[in-house]
Amino acid sequence: MAPELDDYGTLPAESPLGAPLDWAWLRGAKSEWGVHPKPSPRGLTMLDIAVGAYGEVPEHPTHRSMAPRGADIEPGTPDMGYILNDKVDVWSDNTRELYEEAVARQWSATRDIPWGELQELPDDVEHAMCQLCTLLTEVEMIAADLPAKWMWRMNHEFIEAKMFLCTQIMDEARHAEVFRKRALANGGGLLLSRNAGTSLLRTIIEAKSYTQASALLHLLGEGFVLDIFRMGELIAPTDVEKRIFRLCMQDEARHVAYGTMHLRYAVEHDPDVAEEIHEALDHGEEVLTQFGTAPDVSTALAVLLAGGVEHVEDKGFPMSLEMTKKQFSSYLARCERAGISRLERTKIPLDLLGIDAATIQSAGVPVAAR
Amino acid sequence: MRIDSVGFFDDLAKRMNANPDRFRPLGEAYIDCVLVMRGTEPCDFAVRLVFDGIGCDHVVVVDADAPAEFHLVGDIAAWRAMFDDIIEHGRATGLQTLNSLALMGGSIDCIGSDPMGLDKFSRFNQTLQEFFDGASQVAVGATTVTA
Repeated sequence: MAPELDDYGTLPAESPLGAPLDWAWLRGAKSEWGVHPKPSPRGLTMLDIAVGAYGEVPEHPTHRSMAPRGADIEPGTPDMGYILNDKVDVWSDNTRELYEEAVARQWSATRDIPWGELQELPDDVEHAMCQLCTLLTEVEMIAADLPAKWMWRMNHEFIEAKMFLCTQIMDEARHAEVFRKRALANGGGLLLSRNAGTSLLRTIIEAKSYTQASALLHLLGEGFVLDIFRMGELIAPTDVEKRIFRLCMQDEARHVAYGTMHLRYAVEHDPDVAEEIHEALDHGEEVLTQFGTAPDVSTALAVLLAGGVEHVEDKGFPMSLEMTKKQFSSYLARCERAGISRLERTKIPLDLLGIDAATIQSAGVPVAAR
Repeated sequence: MRIDSVGFFDDLAKRMNANPDRFRPLGEAYIDCVLVMRGTEPCDFAVRLVFDGIGCDHVVVVDADAPAEFHLVGDIAAWRAMFDDIIEHGRATGLQTLNSLALMGGSIDCIGSDPMGLDKFSRFNQTLQEFFDGASQVAVGATTVTA
C-alpha cells in the first residue's frame, strides 16, 4: 500500500529561504507503489520493467509533454508540438526486444576491427572496395538523419520506440565511421559519389509521413543495404572486411526487423495506411532500381564478386544478377510479412529475375490470422 | 570426432558456455535454429541449437523438418569442407564463412518461411560464426573432421 503523506508527520510548507515546497510526490504515484519488476538472467531489461501501468502504451496518449509514461502529470504541462500522437504511427511489437539487443550488441569501429591485419590488395580490388565504401559512407547516414527528423515529433509516451531509434542513429554513425575508415586505411581513399545515391536519399528524407519514411528506409533501403552487407562479407578480400560487414549486417538487420514489424502494426491497426505505404514504395522501388543499377555501384560490386576486373564479365556480372534476385526476393518476402503484399503492384520484373511469386507469398502471415 | 554427431555440437556449445569472455562482447543472442546435414547414414542428421543469452543451452537431435526460426541445410561434404577450413585457419575464411555459404546457396542454404526468423541469421551472425569457429578448438589434434 502506498504511504500517505501523513505517515511522515508535519513537513515544512516553505524552504529555509521562504520558497513554497511541495511534498505530494512523497505519497508515490497513483497505485504503482510496491511494483517490483524482477530482473531476468541478463539483467533488468526494458521488457522486465514493462509491468503494470508502466508497460501499457496508450493507443492515443492524452498528454503531449515529456512527462515519463506512468508518472503523475501536473495539469497544464506544455505541449511539445508532437505530431505522431497515435501508437500506430511509430510502434512495433518488437521495439523493447530490439532496443535491448541493440544496446547489448554495440561494437567499436576503432577497437573491434582488426585494422592491423589489412593487406595490400591488387589495385582494381582496392579501388572497388573503396568505391563500395564511398557509397556506404554516403548512404548510411540517411538512416540516422531520418529518425532524427521524426523523433522529436513522436509523442513521449512511445519512449521505447524513440529509444530504439536512438540506437539506430548510433549504429549508423558507426557504419559511416567504419566505411570511411576502411576507405582510407588501405591507401585507396574515398572515390566517386554520384547523383543516383543522393536522389534515393532525398526520396527517403522527404517522405510525407513517418510510416512512409519507415517503409522507404527500414523495409526498402535498409533491406537492400542489409543484402549489400551480406554480399560484402561474401566478397571481402580479407578478414578485416569480413568482420566489418558481419558486424554491420547485425545492426542493419535489427533496423529492418523494427521497420517490418512497425509497418505490420500500422496496417493491422489502420488498414487505410496500406495505400499510403504502397504509394511510397511505388516511387521508392523505382528510385532504388536506378540507384542499384548506377554504373559505379554495379561495376564495383561486380569487380569484387569476380575478385578483380579480369573475370568481371564471366563471373562478376552473373553473380551480381544472382545477388540482385536475392535482394528483391528478400524485400518482397518482408513486404508480405509486413502485411503489404507488393506482388500485384510492383514494377520489379519478377519473371526476368526468376523470382517465384508463390515462394514469396508463403512468407506472409495473414493479418487477420495473427 | 564426427561432425554428424550430437557430441560434436555439444562440444561446441560447451566451449561457448565456458568462454563467456569471448562471447559477451558480441552481446546476447536469442536464436532457435536447426542445422541439417544431408547424405549422412542411415538418414539425414539434424540438430537443434538454441542460443539464449551468452550461451548455447540446447543441443538436441531432431527431425530435419522440426520447426525453427531458420534451417541451415547442406550436404555433409559442404559441412565437412567448412569445418576443415575452420580447423586449418582457426576460423572460417573466404567463401567458407556461414554467411558466404548461405548467401551463395547451393551447398549450404539458410531456409525459413518467416522473414523475421530468417533475418535472425543476420542479426546474430557474428555470434553464430564464432560458435562454429569453435570447431578449431574442439577438434584440436585432428587433421580433418571425419564424417
